[in-house]
Formats: sequence, structure tokens, C-alpha cells
Amino acid sequence: MNFLSIPYISLGLCFLLLGAIWAFKSANPRFAAHCSATASLASYVFSAFEVAKAEHARLFDPWLSFFEADALDAVPMAFFAALNLIVITLAPKRDASGKALAGMLLLTAATQTTYAAANFAVLATGWWLTSLPFVLRMFGEDRSQKLAQGFLIASSIALTAAIAVLHHIEINEISHASSIAFGFIIIAVVLRKGLFPLHGWMINSFEYGPLLPLALLFNGHLGALLIARSETAALSQAERHVLEFLSIAALVTALITSLRGFAEKKPRRMLGLLCLSQASFILAGIATASAEGITGALVHWLVVAAASTGLIAIVRVLEVRVSGSADPTAHLGLATKAPRLATFFLVCGLALIGLPGTLGYCAEDLIFHGALENHTWIGIALPIATAFNAINLLRIFNILFLGVLPKHVIDIPDALPRERWPLAIIVVFLIAGGIFPSKVLHWRETAAHEIESGLGLDTQEHSGH
Amino acid sequence: MSLENLSLLLLATPGITFVVLSLIWLLGGHVPEHAMSRLTKGVYAFLTIIVGIIFWKMWQSDLQSVHASVGAHWFKVAHYEFPLTILLDRLSLPIVGITVILAGVVGSFSVRYLHRDPGFFRFFLLLHLFTFGALLVFMADSLDLLLGGWEIVGITSVLLIGFFQYRPDPVKNALRVFATYRVADLFMLVGVFLAHHWFKTASWHGMFSGEWPGHVNNLNGAAATIVAVMLVFAASGKSAQGPFCGWLARAMEGPTPSSAIFYGAISVHAGAYLLLRIEPLLHSSVIATGLVIFIGSTTAFLGTLVHRTCADAKTSLAYAAQTQLGLIFVEIGLGWTTFAIIHLISHSVLRTLQFLRSPSMLRDYNRVHSAAGGQIDPTGEHYESLLPKKIQLWLYRTALGRGFYDPIVDRFIVTPVVALARFLSVFELRGGKS
Repeated sequence: MNFLSIPYISLGLCFLLLGAIWAFKSANPRFAAHCSATASLASYVFSAFEVAKAEHARLFDPWLSFFEADALDAVPMAFFAALNLIVITLAPKRDASGKALAGMLLLTAATQTTYAAANFAVLATGWWLTSLPFVLRMFGEDRSQKLAQGFLIASSIALTAAIAVLHHIEINEISHASSIAFGFIIIAVVLRKGLFPLHGWMINSFEYGPLLPLALLFNGHLGALLIARSETAALSQAERHVLEFLSIAALVTALITSLRGFAEKKPRRMLGLLCLSQASFILAGIATASAEGITGALVHWLVVAAASTGLIAIVRVLEVRVSGSADPTAHLGLATKAPRLATFFLVCGLALIGLPGTLGYCAEDLIFHGALENHTWIGIALPIATAFNAINLLRIFNILFLGVLPKHVIDIPDALPRERWPLAIIVVFLIAGGIFPSKVLHWRETAAHEIESGLGLDTQEHSGH
Repeated sequence: MSLENLSLLLLATPGITFVVLSLIWLLGGHVPEHAMSRLTKGVYAFLTIIVGIIFWKMWQSDLQSVHASVGAHWFKVAHYEFPLTILLDRLSLPIVGITVILAGVVGSFSVRYLHRDPGFFRFFLLLHLFTFGALLVFMADSLDLLLGGWEIVGITSVLLIGFFQYRPDPVKNALRVFATYRVADLFMLVGVFLAHHWFKTASWHGMFSGEWPGHVNNLNGAAATIVAVMLVFAASGKSAQGPFCGWLARAMEGPTPSSAIFYGAISVHAGAYLLLRIEPLLHSSVIATGLVIFIGSTTAFLGTLVHRTCADAKTSLAYAAQTQLGLIFVEIGLGWTTFAIIHLISHSVLRTLQFLRSPSMLRDYNRVHSAAGGQIDPTGEHYESLLPKKIQLWLYRTALGRGFYDPIVDRFIVTPVVALARFLSVFELRGGKS
């Protein structure tokens, strides 16, 4: 058993939890949240470096050995810590109360617990805890949050049931029970990710819920993590058939949500459908069971997380600046007053839908190629969803930024320095990653290999040659 | 400097200019008009000199083509790799040359045309990005890389159609053009993936043997026909032909210089370039060849009809351009390669001039009118006057309705798709703030 030289994971979690308490009680909660998020980011970045140095070996936390960092989770942990810092920095004043910031830090801590889990029990604990800030109503109260809580709890119950069944196998060695457990895992993923036909709660949360915490909840991509973790353990033939079902569900979600966008006019709902559709590509890619598709999916995970956080944050800061932008009756024409926010929005959106020159292009290229290898129809259907999403992205952009500026919008500030720098970091990541994708692919290559080994793809390749 | 490095420098210069200018602006910097003007003129003069040197060196050493690579590949996963190789040969070099020259002319023209326009900086930023995308299309050594440039050209085109963002029509038309582009690009995307899937290659040297124009097709069978048909539809989308013929008139909402460079000079000819590049693949399939000729001839016929009934100069020019592009498609289908290239280049140059002069067309007309002593003879009888009156009337109505393209698309595509999208809301729970 190899250990991290310093308990980075425990320290990161401690920083987040202490930060949550400090932010909750402090008169200057943003400062407290910033300190906590920066310290946790440093911890997770160091742990990722250490994992890379150890050639992506599995390194356990020396304090709490049920936490580990490996090829699959080290990069997402550092990435999610960075997203947390970005969201806290971008949060408008009215979303940055002590309670709300504490909630965001708690949500991050729960997500990091799920990532770092060395066994299914800890993973399920983190999974349950992600719903805690919503149950405690740390982001305010509305009906959409109750719906979200219901789905989050239902998915947690499904995951707990899967673990209970797995525990039962160890005792009685019932072979078909592993398939039942995997079935429960799939249900947990479908509920959590908001896959068709259970995607409504996610769209509803986008429409009415608190956007910035939702960005963190949505971009945990815990469903993808769970499937990737399950794939690294060897799957039986029956389980692979269940995985096929998941790939179909992801594909249908991608297609239907992209199509649904055409009938919507509210920016929040359209954004929700766009993000959900593009996020479904991650699961579709992981379920392709091909090296290209899996690597593409793991990179697309980072793209969706960065780009959708940028988009969500921009929509939120515009809502705070302009009344009535949540349900505009006409185009808002905000590009005249906020050209930089318009540009950031467009770049993030185009990266999300895979414009060449951005990291999204490389990720989607790999997913499409991977899908064509094993499921030709998925490989053909996914580009259709991308095309629809691109049209919807431009529709949102047009509604928010183009057209005649309404009379009540006399003067609004463009991107403030507090907003400009985090958004610039996201844009630089998406574009620099698109120009030099090999570096980002290298971060995710080992994780992809582990999943391939779990699926037996590497042995198939060797036998094929 | 070697030819390979010169080729890479040619491609990279507009891309680097775009990225540097964007970052300066995004981080709060400001580039004044005169600096932007000098930079643009300098960049295009530099690019023209590079093209001249490449042409001279290739001619001197009797080289058929230059291949240049940036590293072994852009990225590689398992057996799939994305090579970053560019190609300059007897097909791409003239088109690259005409691209940098015409983009330079349009850039120079725009300095005065857009003087003090609030979108001055934005226009030039997009012009540099467009030049990069167009050079990528013409210099790509594979369909994968061509697709990258293809999409960059598409998005810059759409952003320039919506340039006058405070007017509702440009915004609406930009969205419609983007939707058409995306649907057409789907054919390209699927074509490229199918080429990889069935033939394990999408590079020109994998698909064809030998140097252009004497290259030979390596792909055969029904799969090759499917790939060829996909690429024909993709080319039709970019060149506003066949089922995608409706967007060109809508694209005229953009500023005149962008109409000149996109819809007169370069962008619309990218489709024809693609067909020229894959010519042996097209001619290996009767279906693909027939499709190119059919699409080209029907669009040329419709374009020439509509062109005669357009009341405004730019729309009239758009349909005239569509007609000529249709004829270029037919020439490619018939295998008249050299003729098609001459037609393509001369059409680009003429149409750029016409578009750039279109804002002063009335003044030009008055000047010619005065020079002719106040009497200009009408243009005379047209061939359609030989047709029976009833058919003439029917054609006139069709031309006035622009082939009824928009109502057909609205009724049979847009309305059912939106209705289906609305129906799918039955799977969504509705709940709001309490």
C-alpha cells in the first residue's frame, strides 16, 4: 500500500470544512471562502502532482486510509477544487452570503469525498452528503430544490442498495447478484445525471434553482465517476449488457435535450438543456468501450466542467445586472454594454459544443471515433445532437447579447476584474488545451487505460494483433 | 527559410494575430483604429510576400507540392491519430494566393468603410480569424484538418452576418444561416468519420495516390460512394447550392466588406475547392458525379431566375454568385478541372470588386448614364421572352418567391421539428418557486 507523502486529501477536506464554518460565521465570508478554497486547491494540486510523479499509482492518504488518489480521480479533484475557487470568486454579492458560501464549500467537500473514496461505502457517504447543503436549505428555498433533493436522495438510496447487494455477494457468493448491484448503480447514475426520461429535475433546477451551487452539483459528474470506477473492476457479460442500456440512455438524453432546446425561450432552461445534452456525451463516451471513446469522455468531462461553469456564471452575473433577463420578452442586446462577457460566453459555449481550436473539439472527435468503432449509430447520432446544441447555443447568445438594448438597461458594467480573470483562466484552458491537446490527454491517458483493462480491451487488442 | 517553414508561417500568422489581439482586448486593453489598420495591412502584405516566395521557389525547383508537419501528430490515442500536416500544391497554392490578396484588399477597403464604427475592432479580429480558417481549409492535408478550418470559416461568417447586432433582421438571419451551416457540416462530419471507420484514413495521400491533378482514387465500393455523397452535400452547404441554397441572400445582412470576402471571394468557393480536391473520388461514383451536376445545374437555373427579380444590389449579386457557383459545380462534375479553377478564381476577383462597389452602385450608374449623354439603352430582350407567356409568368412568380425555398423549409422542416420539441416536454416535470 503506497501513501501520499503528506495527507493532502484529508488536509483539503479539512480546509473546506473549516472554511465552511469560518464563512458561515465571518463578517467577510468571501474572504474566508477564498482562503479555504485556495488552500484546498493547493492540496489537491499537490496530490495530483504526486500521483503523476508516482506514475499514476494508487496513493492512499496517510491519515485517513479510506481516501486515495489515483489516475482516475487525482485530476478531477484538482480541477473541481479550481472550479470551486472560480465559482466563489465569480459569485455576485447577493449569492455570496455566509450561508451560501458555506454551502458551496460543503458541497465541494462532499464531492471531493466521493472522488477520493477508496471503497464503495465512502463513495456512497460522499454521494449522500452532496445533497446535504440542499436539504439544509443553504441556498434558499424553492420548490425546484425540493424536487432536486428528492432525486438526489433517490439516487443515494439506489447506490446504497447496490452496496448492500455487493456486500451480500461476499457473504453468499451469489453470482447473478453482482448484475443486480450493477443495475442499482445504473439507476443511481440515471437519477443523479438526469438521464432521459428522468432529466426533468435537472432542467427545473436550472430554471428556478440557485445557479452557482448548481454549477458545482452538475459538474461533479459523479455518475460518470461511478461508471468509470465500476468499469475498472472487471464486468461480467450481463453487466456489459446493462452498460449498453446506459449508453442508449445517454444517447437518447443527448438527442432529446438538444431537440427540446428548440421549443424553449428562457435562457436558463435553454442553458440547462444544452449543458445536460453535452454532459451526456461523457457517459456515452465511457460506455463506448473503446480506447478513443473513453479517453475522449474523460477529457470531455473537464471541458464540460470548465465551459458550463463559465456559461452558468455569466448567465447569473447578467441576471444580477439586468432585471427580467431570466424570462426576456425580446432580445436583450447586452453585447453593446458587456462585450467582454459576450465574448467569454461565446468562447465557453463554442468550446462546449466542440469548435475546432478548442479542447472540446479534440474530446468530441475522440468520442465520435470511439463510438463509431463499436456502435456506429451512436457515432452518427452524437454529431446530430452537437449540431442541435450549436444552434441552441447561438439562440441563447442572441437572446442575451444581440438585438436592441431595452430602455431600462441604461448602464451596466462589463466584466469586472473579479469576473474577468476567472473567466479568462477558463477560456485560456479551453483554447490552450485545444491547441496543445496532448498535454491534457496525457493527464487522462492512464485512467483511460485502467478502464480499458477493466473492460478487457487491452487484451482484446493484443489478441487481435 | 525552407518551404516547409514558410508554409507553416503563412498559416500561423493570421492565427497568432487573432489570438494576441483577442487576449489584449479581453484583459482590458485597447487597440486604436490606426494601429489596427497598420497591423492588418502589414499582416496581409507579409502573407502576400510569403505566398510569392513560396510560388517562386516551387517554380524554380519545379516542385509539385510541399508537405509540412508540426510534430508527428496533434494528438494520438490508441490507433487513432490526428496528423497536423499541411499541403501546398498546384490546386491549393493559387487559391491560397487569391485568399491572402483578396483578404488584404478587403481589409484595406474596410479601414475607411468602417471608420469609427463601434464594431471596427471586432470586424478586423474576425477577418484575421477567417483568414486563418480559410488558409486551413485550403492548406489541409486531410479531411480532419480541413474540417477544422471549415467550421472556423462558418462561425466567423455567422458572427459577421450578425455584425449590426442592434438590428433584429441580421440577428435572425445569422441564426438561420448558422442552422443551415450546422446541418450541412453534419454531412462533412459524418463523411469524415465514415472515411476513418471504413478506410482508416481521411488524409489526401491515404485517399488518393499521386500528385494533383493526376491523382488516383484509392477508395472503392458503396462505402466510397456514401463518403463522396456526404462530402458533396457538405460542399453544397458551404457554396449555397441545392438543398442549402436559401442562406446566401440572408447572409447579405453583414457589412459589405464581409459580404465581399465571404460570399463573393473565398468562403462560398470552399465547397468548390473541396469537390476539386476529391475529384477522383467523385468520378469513381456515377451517383456522386450525377448529384454534383444535378445540384449545380438546378441551383444555377434558380439563381439566374431569382437574380433578375431582386430589387437590391447585394441580394442580386448573391444570386448571381450562386448561379456561377452552380456552373462551377457542373464543370467539376463534367471533369473540366482547369476550366473550373479558372472560373473559380476569376469569379472570386470579379465578385469581390462588384460587392465592394455595391454601396456606390447608384452613383456609378448615374456617372455612366451621364457619360453616355443621359441615354443608356435598356439591356435588351432575354431568352425567357421566347417562352410562352404562361410559363414566363410562372417562372416570374417562382423567381419573385425565390423558389419558395423559405416557406418550404419552414413548413416541412422547422415547424415539425419545433412541434416535436414541444411534444417532448411531456417528459419534464414542471415546478417553480413556491
